[in-house]
Amino acid sequence: MNTVPLQIEAELARLNVLRMVRAGGSGHLGGALSCIDIVTALYFATMRVNPQAPKDPNRDRFLLSAGHKAMAQYAVLGRRGYFEETLYDTYGSVGSKLGGHPDLHKLPGIEANTGALGHGLSIAAGMALGLRAAGNGGRVFTVLGDGELPEGANWEGASIAAHHRLDNLVAFVDVNDLQISGPTAEVMNMEPIADKFAAFGWNTVTIDGNDIDAVLGAVSTADGEKGRPTVVVARTTKAKGISFLEGTLASHYWKPTVEELDRAEREVHARIDNLREWNDHGC
Amino acid sequence: MAAETPTLIDPRKTFGQAVTDLAASDDRVVVLSADSGLSSGFGSFRERYPDRYYEFGIQEHGTTGVAAGLATTGKIPVFAAIAAFVTNRNYEAFRNDIAYMGQNVKIVGRNGGITYSDLGPTHYSLEDYAIIRMLPGVVVLSPQDPGEIREAAKAMIEHDGPVYMRIGGPSIPDLFPQAPFTIGEGRMIREGSRATVVTTGTITPEVVVAVQRLADDGVDVELIGMPTVEPVDAALIRASAHRTGRVITVEEHYTRGGLSAAVGEALASSGIPVHAIGLPHEHIVTGTYSGLLARYALDAAGLYERIRLLVR
Repeated sequence: MNTVPLQIEAELARLNVLRMVRAGGSGHLGGALSCIDIVTALYFATMRVNPQAPKDPNRDRFLLSAGHKAMAQYAVLGRRGYFEETLYDTYGSVGSKLGGHPDLHKLPGIEANTGALGHGLSIAAGMALGLRAAGNGGRVFTVLGDGELPEGANWEGASIAAHHRLDNLVAFVDVNDLQISGPTAEVMNMEPIADKFAAFGWNTVTIDGNDIDAVLGAVSTADGEKGRPTVVVARTTKAKGISFLEGTLASHYWKPTVEELDRAEREVHARIDNLREWNDHGC
Repeated sequence: MAAETPTLIDPRKTFGQAVTDLAASDDRVVVLSADSGLSSGFGSFRERYPDRYYEFGIQEHGTTGVAAGLATTGKIPVFAAIAAFVTNRNYEAFRNDIAYMGQNVKIVGRNGGITYSDLGPTHYSLEDYAIIRMLPGVVVLSPQDPGEIREAAKAMIEHDGPVYMRIGGPSIPDLFPQAPFTIGEGRMIREGSRATVVTTGTITPEVVVAVQRLADDGVDVELIGMPTVEPVDAALIRASAHRTGRVITVEEHYTRGGLSAAVGEALASSGIPVHAIGLPHEHIVTGTYSGLLARYALDAAGLYERIRLLVR
């Protein structure tokens, strides 16, 4: 399929992330941008969701286990019509619906209050069990960070999902190779990630997580898998899409100058222009 | 006068049967086990509702997260295991996934207090009231006899929100006629004038005997049972305390942070003294349950002495 419209959506979501950072003065930008192509693909091309009925019991669910990537989900939810995009300008203000970590009591479309790492997979497994019992075909998607994998609770969730044969659960691991103290391989090496999940009984797929086509392909592989949950090991780039931040530790929790923000926005705008041109004229 | 030997009833079987009975009329009720369901009285639940009984093996953190996820889909998960492990081991999941997410999950800690007397401090729960009552929006229940366990189980299922219930392990006597249970309501067990004794949970049978002996000796104390530790029945405590002028709390818990703290907070601006009886803040030894109660003066004889000295 032509994924250029989705790529444009992902870039528009990146602009929303920059808008939030501008409003709040800082934020977990690096991880938000490494997984934002995944989140965009799920909300715009895969998940059964209705922004007008965000609590529809038959909806698919998305939750971030790595809750500090919240800006990625916020950026896409607004684009998808869950709330007015002017809300982004409240990021960082007292009592904002957009906190540094997601809160289901505050914002439509949020499914879990994550932030403490290692919780998402078990919550997602519970949702998948409940949806399977309801028999409505509901699926659950979650994004973990590679840096959170040492948390033992992940592996409790991994064993539960495999033992209970939760084939309606898809977990993406956003492997951007960096965490707050340095390269993930040096801080605590959890490779080979796919093999670990495979050993627990999961179906595994490894992709370029910044390639929307690959994300959609992985989901369709997961949909065809019966009796096993699927983990998508998504190789990504931290701060993907902002050239001077890509692969830098400084992007993990970014506190930019106005000039840096302006420069980042110009880059994204230029890419959007190019993508639109390509899409409209096929050249 | 020869005391009648009361019939003793297993609190776990009582609780498990109560939930199994309730499940017949509410198909949202599901049971979660961390290799703990059968020993929590859910054998007949598993037989009757195999597709509503989920086993996860020994992992309390993951199971608590699953409970939260299930609740988001409209289920009412009941997760029962050893009290120490469903409050301490999984505390962050309890805090974030259940309390902060506000999910309709029921966590039940069995063998609370020192009822696993032979197994030692790893298996005691003497801080569970304290740590769970720190979580906003979580009800803490601690029923005192089989009838209260049955009625509290019903109230727990009917309450829309997170609940922690603590029950014991050893068999216990019927103390009260079974009556509907209202969360947050204390029970006036005996009226008196010299002091107000407030108690809860597994230790109440000992307190009832102690207070009766005191009454037989002309020491007339009021006894309030508080099967809801959070939110505590502050109105009942204040009214009684203002009448008697002295409050004594008795609980199978450390004398910090639990019932004594809840009662103390309710009376903080009253100037009325609150004396806390419970387990000392140290690592408690092992032995027989009755032996431990005697050692720490929490059996009827020990409580009789301590309360008598306090109201003298």
